[in-house]
Amino acid sequence: MADTLVETNAPYAIRTYSPEQLKDALRKMFLIRKFEEGAEDSYMRGLIHGTMHLSIGQEASAVGSCMSLTDADKITSTHRGHGHCVAKNADLGKMFAEFFGKETGYCKGRGGSMHIADPSKGNLGANGIVGGGLPIAVGAALSAKRLGTGAVTICFFGDGANNEGAFHESLNMAAVWKLPVVFVCENNKYGMSTSTARSTAVKNIAERAAAYSMPGVTVDGNDFSAVTEAVDAAVARARAGEGPSLVENLTYRWRGHSKSDRNRYRTKEEISEWMERDPIVAMSNLLVAHKILSEAEVAGLEEQATQVIKDAIEFAAASPDPRIEDATRDVYTEGAAA
Amino acid sequence: MPVEVIMPKVDMDMAKGKIVTWYASEGDFVTKGAPLFDIETDKAAMEIEAPDSGILHHPAPEGTDVPIGKPVAWLYAEGEAVGAPPASYGAEPAAASPAPAPVSEPEPARAEAVAPAPRGDVALSDKQRATPRARALAREAGLDLDGIPGTGPRGRVQAEDVQALLDRAPAFAAPVAFSAETGPLSVTRTKGGTGTPVVLIHGFASDATSWAPLEAQLKHRPIIRIELPGHGKSPKLRIANFAALVKDVRRAFDDLNLEQVHLVGHSLGGALALAIADTRERSIASLTLIAPAGLGPEVNGDALSGICRANRPESLGPWLRRLVADETIITDSYVRLAMAGRADPNLRAAQSALAEVLFPDGVQAFDLRAALERIAVPTRILWGKQDDIIPWHHALRAPGRAALHLFGGVGHMPQIECADEVGQLIKAYI
Amino acid sequence: MNAMTKTELRELSYAEAIREAMDIALASDERVVLMGEDIGVYGGAFQVTGDLVEKYGTDRVMDTPISELGGAGVAVGAALTGLKPIFEFQFSDFAALAMEQIVNQAAKVRYMLGGSVSVPLVMRFPAGSGTGAAAQHSQSIEAWLGHVPGLKVLQPSTPEDAKGMLLAALEDPDPVMIFEHKILYKMKGHVPEGYYTTPIGKAAIRRPGKDLTIVATSMMVHKAMAAAETLAAEGIDAEVIDLRTVRPMDRETVLASVRKTGRLVCVYEGVKTLGVGAEVSAMVAESDAFDFLDAPIVRLGGAECPIPYNPELEKAVVPQVPDILDAARNLAKGRI
Repeated sequence: MADTLVETNAPYAIRTYSPEQLKDALRKMFLIRKFEEGAEDSYMRGLIHGTMHLSIGQEASAVGSCMSLTDADKITSTHRGHGHCVAKNADLGKMFAEFFGKETGYCKGRGGSMHIADPSKGNLGANGIVGGGLPIAVGAALSAKRLGTGAVTICFFGDGANNEGAFHESLNMAAVWKLPVVFVCENNKYGMSTSTARSTAVKNIAERAAAYSMPGVTVDGNDFSAVTEAVDAAVARARAGEGPSLVENLTYRWRGHSKSDRNRYRTKEEISEWMERDPIVAMSNLLVAHKILSEAEVAGLEEQATQVIKDAIEFAAASPDPRIEDATRDVYTEGAAA
Repeated sequence: MPVEVIMPKVDMDMAKGKIVTWYASEGDFVTKGAPLFDIETDKAAMEIEAPDSGILHHPAPEGTDVPIGKPVAWLYAEGEAVGAPPASYGAEPAAASPAPAPVSEPEPARAEAVAPAPRGDVALSDKQRATPRARALAREAGLDLDGIPGTGPRGRVQAEDVQALLDRAPAFAAPVAFSAETGPLSVTRTKGGTGTPVVLIHGFASDATSWAPLEAQLKHRPIIRIELPGHGKSPKLRIANFAALVKDVRRAFDDLNLEQVHLVGHSLGGALALAIADTRERSIASLTLIAPAGLGPEVNGDALSGICRANRPESLGPWLRRLVADETIITDSYVRLAMAGRADPNLRAAQSALAEVLFPDGVQAFDLRAALERIAVPTRILWGKQDDIIPWHHALRAPGRAALHLFGGVGHMPQIECADEVGQLIKAYI
Repeated sequence: MNAMTKTELRELSYAEAIREAMDIALASDERVVLMGEDIGVYGGAFQVTGDLVEKYGTDRVMDTPISELGGAGVAVGAALTGLKPIFEFQFSDFAALAMEQIVNQAAKVRYMLGGSVSVPLVMRFPAGSGTGAAAQHSQSIEAWLGHVPGLKVLQPSTPEDAKGMLLAALEDPDPVMIFEHKILYKMKGHVPEGYYTTPIGKAAIRRPGKDLTIVATSMMVHKAMAAAETLAAEGIDAEVIDLRTVRPMDRETVLASVRKTGRLVCVYEGVKTLGVGAEVSAMVAESDAFDFLDAPIVRLGGAECPIPYNPELEKAVVPQVPDILDAARNLAKGRI
């Protein structure tokens, strides 16, 4: 907690977190940005074989939501999950190695972009199925409650998932059983090409919380402090045994849905308008304004992140591929035959 | 000019017919009006007579489909220059009339005998059906599946068929594999063995598999088995008389092109062996006649016609038991197996026809005593004293040169009933 | 069998045997929870969980909402994070609602994550026809799940195995799917006391024989046994193999039997085409046991239609004892 220099009118994040924590948050946001840019660059150089879903523009949502979590707390993530991994303290080298399909990657090259996970840090993994992580998060919360670990689970999902049956079943069960789970909807306006206006009956997805008798709030997902304030409250409520909450972070992905996206469903004006609202610039400005960092220190963080990513890519590129003969390893525990 | 033999139109909407069987071969003289070949159409099978007398050349291979009106063979006058065979039958009008040109070696046109088979099965008919287990058993035993009649559905050889064969030849320790050879009659020979080959000719209503018990004894020699027309895998030729039969079998013998052979014949095969020895004496190193026909008029005509008539194991079994002294060796599975080998009604019909010609009214219509007198090759005659098919005392008509071995407690099948002793005797010869 | 051993042979129904297994598991392992629709005070649609809720409370014997997809997913998530859920589907047919979580999540998570996690999850599926419940409550869908690497698929056919295989499944670190035939629930049989496991992936030879091999699953094992008795009276000695595990399949037991008998009938209730018997047949055809086949392989499976309601139709579309008899006789007598 901040101490003597508390500005009572300062935003929640400034009031709540130490300069070191805030500096670290910005560092992670830069790492996410640079990771995504590095991924995109590697893809364009033909170094990466699959597609990817970049979260450039959504960094405040990922990092802000995880501010009050420890490694014991869990997250479930989505296909646009690189940011969540970084926010949950993933190793960038292992992430890139996975991206490159290498044996040194988080999933030993078996999972790729959509399945990066780090159970040791409480990250139960991204998910290739829209809504796939929702019931799993509820299950993790059930474990925490049954085993009395005190852990909270944050369930990241996109606006598209809110129309999956799994969303409704999961929220309902979490509420019925009062489980320590926070549903964080990263509403970036489009499920692939279909806007929430065209796909979702309610204006704000958070309104759906009412149906499951849980708090639901909608916040500016590009405002780090706003995200932190909303999610922290929900995490605290979960930890206190009061049950689940739904937080909707309104944000925007600067890039297309995936590499196949030709951006026919949104305008250049809309994209540039959101780019004006760059969450990293906003966070940098916030920290500079509150004298937590100088401009030069911000630039230093960015440069540092660039170097980390460069090293991570080098590590990944130099790593060995998995052996073909190991293709069926890890289907079952200890090679149980099938 | 040769006379064209054409594929006749025999019913209204017939466009083509299939040549099923020729009753004469390349180079045979045929008489006008004699049955020349069988055809099969979508609706019927029919026998076609020779349109003229002459020497048959270039018959269309059996199994060939020929459009109506197109030639299937040519009949030449004695001494007339023989034209080249057509490139195909019925396809090109140009090929239908071969230009007369001297041809040095007329090739038998019949590539392989194709037995009439139900439509739809034609493509499969030449492929032996067998279960994997039967194949494995045969493989292990070194048996050729082709020699094994199947009792399974659609003639499929099953393990018990192979096993029955193995059981029936207890001495069949290191069995012998046969490979089919092409030729007018079915001829199979072993792959191994050295020295003067042994040629085996089976008896009436039998086939090459009947030699199985003996083969183990003789396996150090190349073994060649000739199957009679209308028997085993040989084509079902129409045989006019004993001389015609001799001619066919002798041609198969000649085709072997061997300098020296040990010739062994059983029953009717004994008579044939004797006839061949009579005309090919220089090629015969030794002659073994097992219960041979041709040395007297008596023969058990009831048994022969009974065997020909039987179309199920129940009716075949009693007659088969007449063949041997100890009926217990003819087991039910042996009978089933034997019946399976005779399942083709055309085969039975062919044998009945042959029996009519060779054994009219239960009498042997041919006499080879003179031949036996004539030949100088080492000869021995083996006979079972309980032979109920041909009386063993016919052997007493043999000249003193021929050795005679009589087996007590043995019937008409010494090569099966006392295979070891028979094998030892033959071995001693060769 | 003397009187003494007879008293030792305690009998339970198949459902009771499963309940006893769950009772043992709940009592001995805090991590075990039961989840499912109406498994609490109701006791389960087929009274398998029975009164366990009274003993262990609603926290351990959890009624889920009618949310198969969500419920299955919660079980997956709980298994990933330290619990050992036993998830009961009310009918195996409802697995269709949860296939996403079973197939895309439970089966694949370990692999996708490079072996860094496992999903010690047990799912129970009341399956099969014969109850007049028609097309959406009578299916045998083990082959669907048997097609998915990462899952293990069991079909116990006796009370003893139902208990032993459930306890084995709980010991297994990977997701195990257990198909329980509804008609078997009331079947009684010997069930040993206390804790024991029946190995996963090991078939049982229910009746040794030399003339032909009948590989059967679940309810069909009992029909095959009945047929084998009749066949024995006719001099046909059938070997009956209870496959017990669809995935991983016990190659060795099946192949050894076929090597011995040379004849194979597969009897299974699922739709014949692309079913369990197809896999058994292919396994034999691809192996050295092929050389021992002395007749074509025969599959008796469910008809190519949904399970009908009318009881006569319902019987007609799954293999019955006379069907097995016909097939076995034809095979043994070389008519096929």
